[in-house]
Amino acid sequence: MTPRPATLTPAPAEVALPPARSPAAIALRRGLSHGGFLIGAAIVGFIVLAALAAPLIAPHDPYAQDVSRRLIPPVWHAKGGVAHLLGTDKLGRDYLSRLIYGSQISLLIGLSAALISGIIGTTLGVLAGYYGGRVDAVVSYVVTTRLAMPVVLVALAMASLVGGSLKVVVLVLGFLLWDRFAVVTRAATRQVRAQDFVAAARAAGFGPVRILAQEILPNILNALIVVATLEMAHAILLEAALSFLGLGVQPPLPSWGLMIAEGKQYMFFQPWVITIPGVALLVLVLGINLLGDGVRDITAPEGRH
Amino acid sequence: MPIRIDAGRVRVGTMRGMGALLAGLLLAGLAGPALAAKANDTLVYASDSEPENLSPYHNSVREGVILARNVWDTLIHRDPKTGEHQPQLATAWTWVDPVTLDLTIREGVTFHNGDPLTPEDVAFTFNYVLTPEAKIVTKGNVDWMKATEVTGPHSVRIHLKAPFPAALEYLSGPTPIFPAAYFKKVGLDGFSKAPVGTGPYRIVAVESGKGVRMVRNDKYWPGSPLGRPKIGKLEFRVIPDGDSRMAELMTGGVDWIWRVPTDQAEQLKNDPTLTVLSAETMRVGFLQFDVQGRAMENSPIKDARVRRAIFHAIDRKAMVDNLVRGGARVMNAACFIDQFGCTDAGVPAYAYDPAKARALLKEAGYPNGFEIDLAAYRERDYAEAVIGYLRAVGIRAKLNYLRYAAFRDALRGGKTSIGFQTWGSFSINDVSAFTGIYFRGGEEDLARDPAVIATLQAGDTGSDPAARKAKYAEALARIAGEAYVVPMFSYPSNYAFSRDLAFTAQADEVPRFYAASWK
Repeated sequence: MTPRPATLTPAPAEVALPPARSPAAIALRRGLSHGGFLIGAAIVGFIVLAALAAPLIAPHDPYAQDVSRRLIPPVWHAKGGVAHLLGTDKLGRDYLSRLIYGSQISLLIGLSAALISGIIGTTLGVLAGYYGGRVDAVVSYVVTTRLAMPVVLVALAMASLVGGSLKVVVLVLGFLLWDRFAVVTRAATRQVRAQDFVAAARAAGFGPVRILAQEILPNILNALIVVATLEMAHAILLEAALSFLGLGVQPPLPSWGLMIAEGKQYMFFQPWVITIPGVALLVLVLGINLLGDGVRDITAPEGRH
Repeated sequence: MPIRIDAGRVRVGTMRGMGALLAGLLLAGLAGPALAAKANDTLVYASDSEPENLSPYHNSVREGVILARNVWDTLIHRDPKTGEHQPQLATAWTWVDPVTLDLTIREGVTFHNGDPLTPEDVAFTFNYVLTPEAKIVTKGNVDWMKATEVTGPHSVRIHLKAPFPAALEYLSGPTPIFPAAYFKKVGLDGFSKAPVGTGPYRIVAVESGKGVRMVRNDKYWPGSPLGRPKIGKLEFRVIPDGDSRMAELMTGGVDWIWRVPTDQAEQLKNDPTLTVLSAETMRVGFLQFDVQGRAMENSPIKDARVRRAIFHAIDRKAMVDNLVRGGARVMNAACFIDQFGCTDAGVPAYAYDPAKARALLKEAGYPNGFEIDLAAYRERDYAEAVIGYLRAVGIRAKLNYLRYAAFRDALRGGKTSIGFQTWGSFSINDVSAFTGIYFRGGEEDLARDPAVIATLQAGDTGSDPAARKAKYAEALARIAGEAYVVPMFSYPSNYAFSRDLAFTAQADEVPRFYAASWK
């Protein structure tokens, strides 16, 4: 499963080898021939770029309202115009600009929630997997407790207690979504721990901190990346759900979930108000999931189904 | 429409909450048609808020007013067309002096539970609601009374605290009569679960969170100015979400909805099975400020210049023309302009002027604006538009969208700095029904300005109409000058209902279902 450190398996010089390739080059080659990975990377890359360059590419101020120009349809609609490519919302704000700025919020929430939960989950999982025994029992108990709590319900309760805001959403999701990190890293650590090179490191007198950081973590990174992408997508969806219910990000921030909530009112007669942010959300989540799957396939092709 | 199907899939696939919502909608849609409509003589009407308590003195939402008018009678009836006062439960009344009112109580009226109406019921109701233990939420409607005594087998006498010329107006609206014996037996909780009145409809079931079911009171006293109801069964259903209400109406689950946003009302006009009406109402929207600055430390709102800046920052005309529509008007004074005593003559008007707003903020020491929270409970769009205008002058307001009871308590308790209020004056055509609630020193008064309180008291108790008007004008000018509130606009109400239903809307925002009929 894992590439072993070169020092432990010196290749006999006399054996004929295929032309040498670095692991990075192999991964690149696999990546370029992996359709899902390419699509996912293109989508996520595009949205990340849009989020980073929002002030440069957004045609209007996403907060500037003009109630005399409200609910203009998108450009492909008979009544649309090029001044507002995706039309305007109920307060006359440019929809494209809000969509672009909204990607910042989705990505920010996805990344920070995945980071927080990743740190919590990985720490717990690695400790449980490495030490086993009582530590494992305690961590497993904590994970079970966490799994017993319905995420959406707890997130809703927290957000309504503390009041919704960007910070609250990130923290709540970060502290709720670490279970998969813990479960996956625990299993992966147990496997890696049984390998010879870990035993060798231990025999060489390395302390547990060094073994965990230098021998184990790099070897469970693949699994970690896959979980991180999944949880990122999960967090983005949960943010949208919370904002949709009015307990997430608060107006006038242009969150996609909030835009969907606001568009609900127009679903019957101006369906594009809800369709546009809905499609954006779908595409982003799809992109992240494709990317995550692709990364797994490329770095660990033996795990492919 | 492929686009709509796509949107549905996105939402179902991505959000479990939405999936549940859609499923709920679908179920409601399937179960609905069996209950509503002409075929089984049941008029189902839906609205957003649920009264916290069905006793009309213990809630202040419009839905409670509607129930009160259909289930209870008042002493006097005010004709919605002419504004004339007519006998209802009282057959006659005379002013003994400006603080004493004698009324003769009608004979032969029975409550829904069979008890006959007596003067004791009247005296009990009014004396009970004045006790602090009753904990009523509509104090402004009754605190002009001192005590009520039974003076004969068919007469009562109301003693007033001070002269109050608008008394008859209050006796013909928010002061329904309770059955004394029944109320004493079951208490407020029991009464809220099984209310009893004398009105055209009788409540048969109260389901918390769902609604109220009523049937026609077949023993309703003949000769009532309300007339005998024509529709046999009436059902109030609570549907908080506007789109669900509309979907229910379009699928026949309910027969009558209101507060349809103007955008949607215009589209619903194309539906041949529906009738759409829009009319201005007495409801006025306004921003109420936490003038005493309880909600945050060093609250900028304490500064009148900041409040005036907010006044200048909002383009109320543009909001009325583009967002609200349906016959709404910009209000400059803190009342509904057609109410007796309400005037904007002499009231400072604040034109839309963002530059001036910024200058005022700078003068007050906020050149870069500030952050603040704004609470709202009704039309979210209006509140968001206000937030957008505030943002344009540097004030970064955060929306806090609440249920009415929580919203009201947040404002009363000094927990929010700005509240997007609306007030329908309990449909009382006298300015005291507005100013008396928000500026005369009561719980809803966040300014507590002694000068305003004194002037309003003089206005409320004066006997000469011209002198009253002068006092109100003085108070309204000071309220606007200090910018204690920002009056926004009158509210139109858009009604949409089944083509089968004959229904007339009144400006006082009280749907009179007892007068509705099937075509």
